Order: sequence, then C-alpha cells, then structure tokens
Amino acid sequence: MRIKKFNMDNYAKVRKAQFKIQQMAFMLIAVVLFFALVGIFALAFRLSEIKDTANLLEEKNAMLLVSRLANSPEFTCGEAFGGKRTNCIDFDKIIILKTEIPEYKNFWGVSNIEIRKIIGINNEVLCSLTNYPDCNVIKLIENSSSGYDYSNFVSLCWKERNDETGDVYDKCEIAKLIVRYKEKI
Amino acid sequence: MLNNSFILLKTQAKQQKMKDKKAIEFSFAWLFAVIIGAVILVLAIYIATKMISTGETETGTATAKEIGTLLNPIETGFEEGKSSLISLTTNTRIYNKCTHLGDFGSQGIQTSQKSFGKWSNPGFEVSFQNKYIFSDNYEEGKEFYLFSKPFDFPFKISDLIYLTSSQKKYCFSNPPEEIKKELTELKQGNLLVNNCSSANIIKVCFGSEANCNINVKYNSGFIQKNSTILYFATDALMYAAIFADKEIYECQAKRLMKRASELSSIYEKKAVLFEERDCSSDLDIGTFRLLLDNYRDSSYLGTLSSKADEIKEDNDMALCKLW
Repeated sequence: MRIKKFNMDNYAKVRKAQFKIQQMAFMLIAVVLFFALVGIFALAFRLSEIKDTANLLEEKNAMLLVSRLANSPEFTCGEAFGGKRTNCIDFDKIIILKTEIPEYKNFWGVSNIEIRKIIGINNEVLCSLTNYPDCNVIKLIENSSSGYDYSNFVSLCWKERNDETGDVYDKCEIAKLIVRYKEKI
Repeated sequence: MLNNSFILLKTQAKQQKMKDKKAIEFSFAWLFAVIIGAVILVLAIYIATKMISTGETETGTATAKEIGTLLNPIETGFEEGKSSLISLTTNTRIYNKCTHLGDFGSQGIQTSQKSFGKWSNPGFEVSFQNKYIFSDNYEEGKEFYLFSKPFDFPFKISDLIYLTSSQKKYCFSNPPEEIKKELTELKQGNLLVNNCSSANIIKVCFGSEANCNINVKYNSGFIQKNSTILYFATDALMYAAIFADKEIYECQAKRLMKRASELSSIYEKKAVLFEERDCSSDLDIGTFRLLLDNYRDSSYLGTLSSKADEIKEDNDMALCKLW
C-alpha cells in the first residue's frame, strides 16, 4: 500500500490553484452580470422604441380615419338628402348602426367612435331609438375611457316629419365626429 | 537533492517531448479563459443574428401597418376613381392575405425587404377588417400604384383598392369608351391603353384578339385568365378580377358580399323607420339580403346583379331615398 507523503510545496500549489479558480469564477459572474445588464438595457430601449412606433402608427391611423370615416358606407348620407354630399352623416342610418354594433366592434380598428351635436341641447343626452333625434351624443363604439381623440366637423342629417302638414323634410345640424385610439402602455 | 534533480530531469524531458510534438503548453487559467471567451463570442454572434432578424420582422410589420394606414386617404368620396403612388426606400414584397371568416373577414398585409441580395422573412401580418386590396399573392418592387374605385352594389359597399407594382405594366386593348376614358384620366404610369406592342406587358383584351394574357368578356360579365374564369358585376369588380389572383378575388368578393348583407340589414331597418314617418320606400331589400347570405362564389354575381339593378331603380323612384 502506497501512502502519499504530505508535501508543503504541493499544498501551496493546490491553495494557489484554488484561489485562481475562485478568482476566475468571480470574474465569470461579473462578466455574465455585466452582459445581462447591458442586455436588459438594450431590450428595454428596443421595446420602448417599438411601443413608440406602434403608438405613432395608431395615432396616424386615427388621424387619417377621422377625415374619411364620414364618407364610409355605414355613415354617409349618399344621395338620400338630395344631391351628393361629402362629410355628411346619415343620422337615421347611425341610430340603426348602433343596434348592429357588436359586429362592427373591431371593424375600423379604433377604440371609440362618437358623434356629438354642437348646437341645440345643452346637457349631454345619449341617443337611443326611443329619444332619437332629440339627443346630442351618439356613442357608437366604446372600448376605452382613456386615449387620444381626433375629431372632424361633419353635417348630421335626418328626415323629420312636420306634424301639422304631415310632410317629411330633411334636417341637418353641425356635429363633431370623434375617433379615439388607445395608447399602448 | 537526488529527488529534485530527478524531477527537473523529468520536466525537461517532458518539455523536450512537447517541443518535438510542436505542442503549446496551456495553464488551466488560459484554457478556462479561452473556453469562456469562445462561449461569450458564440453567444454574442447568436444574439446579434437574432436581433437583426427581429429588426427585419419589426421593419416588415411597421411597413405593413403603415401601408394599411396610408390606404385611408385614398378612399373615395364621390370620385369615380383615384390613383396614388407609394415609394419605398428598399426593394419590398407586399403580400396580400385574405380571409373571409368572421363577420366581415379580414385583409392581411405582410411585407418583406431585400437586404444583401436576400429576401428577409416576412413581418407579422397586419389585419384590417375595412379594407379590400386586389393584387397578386405578392407584389414586388420599390414603387407601388394604388388605384381605388367605389363598389356600388347598388348602394356603396366599400372602396376597392387595386395594388400593382410599377414594374408590372398592363395594356388594355380595345376597351369600351368609358373604360378607356377612365384609364386615360387616371394617368397611372403602369396602365396603358391601345398601345400594346412592347414586350413584357400584360395584355388585357376586350375584343377577340390573339396573344392576350387576359380576355375580358365585358357584356357577358366574366374574364378569362390562365385558363380560369372569374365573374364580375360592375366595373369595379372587373378591374379587381383583372389585377387579382383567383383566390384573392374570390375571397375579397365573399367579404364584400358579407358587408353588403350587413348594410342591407341597416337599410331594411331604415325603411321601417321611414314607414313610421309615413314615407315609405317599398324596396325589396329582404330578398336581396337573402341572396347575399347565400353567396358562395363569383358565379352568383349575375343573379345578384339583376336584383341590385331592380332595387336601385326602386330607390331612385322612391319619395324617401334610402341611400
């Protein structure tokens, strides 16, 4: 049986090697931590950049949409009020559209669409089939209470019946079409 | 003393042996540093490659969204047609995706860009429910023409957008007078009329001519393209059939009929509202809506077109017009 002899030189060498390995391990941890931190910062920066781009595109979409929305088939007066009218919203059609809104919820890609009469009734009266047209706010799509609004002035037209003569005539009022987009957080 | 000399001799012999083998001696610390360095380098290269690929996807997705957003202003009011040009900085492929599932189906746009002579992976698909783009499966180039035209059937359903690359030239041979007038007034660079002699053009013939890529039977309401037949109703759908791939055309037509059905439901209820005000319109929209709900493919357009003409006439005559 061989018995290894205790050697002071070997002991010192082993201690030195152990110290070097420890030094290397600490260095490694520091390097990994450094890269991880740099990575986290880079990722946070990129994510915030992507978020900004997404918000900018949403904003652009809302801005461009509001200028054309009144001419889309679900809103436009067409030739129903005599002649071709642009930026004219058919109130009769809108009040019906309000009942069909579940299908249209994501159709225009914005979180809220609202129409507000500018003159007339002072208090906010929400429109429904029962009080229409004696109301001043139509909330078509309501997905978010916060966000950024873009608006456009439009004429809001409907057909009204004169109770005395029984004649049906066209009535138009000025209104504001408001489109809201929700900011990505 | 003897022992130490022996160790020294042994070490020298070992070093000589290594020299003979032309080997390099590495301490543990060096070996460790080299391995870790290599791992860090490989990781850094991997992360950089991933970041480039993510960047390409991000650019592709943002471009697709931007194109979709830019389609808003080209929608028409009462104009008959509108054309505009999109210029991009790099060679781009715009992929046209269409699905007819859901209430209105959806229009998808994907883009990929050419970098270092290779096409990048397409970005994420950006979807829009209110857009209808007619094109091939993908269009390629730096400049793209967007031609939009309202689709009235018989009321306005939507604006149809025809996307073509400026590299692709279409020549319309012997078109009817109104089509010729419209194309001439549009002044779109890649749409030529009656000058179809140059090479590398897509020849669209309206008469019975030879060497045509697309034959339009204008009065019969169909076109022949690559041995397939696509039916159309109205000029807007004729252009759609000319510029679009068969699958895209059929899918978008189905989506349009879904929207038409929704709109006819609104007009049906509006007619009831008018009746309450003693201003009846007497339009048979209910039957038209049933026909729309039974729409399967473009071969149904003929029947639908006759009914659409009928209710259009009734609406024009009505005291209280629905649209």
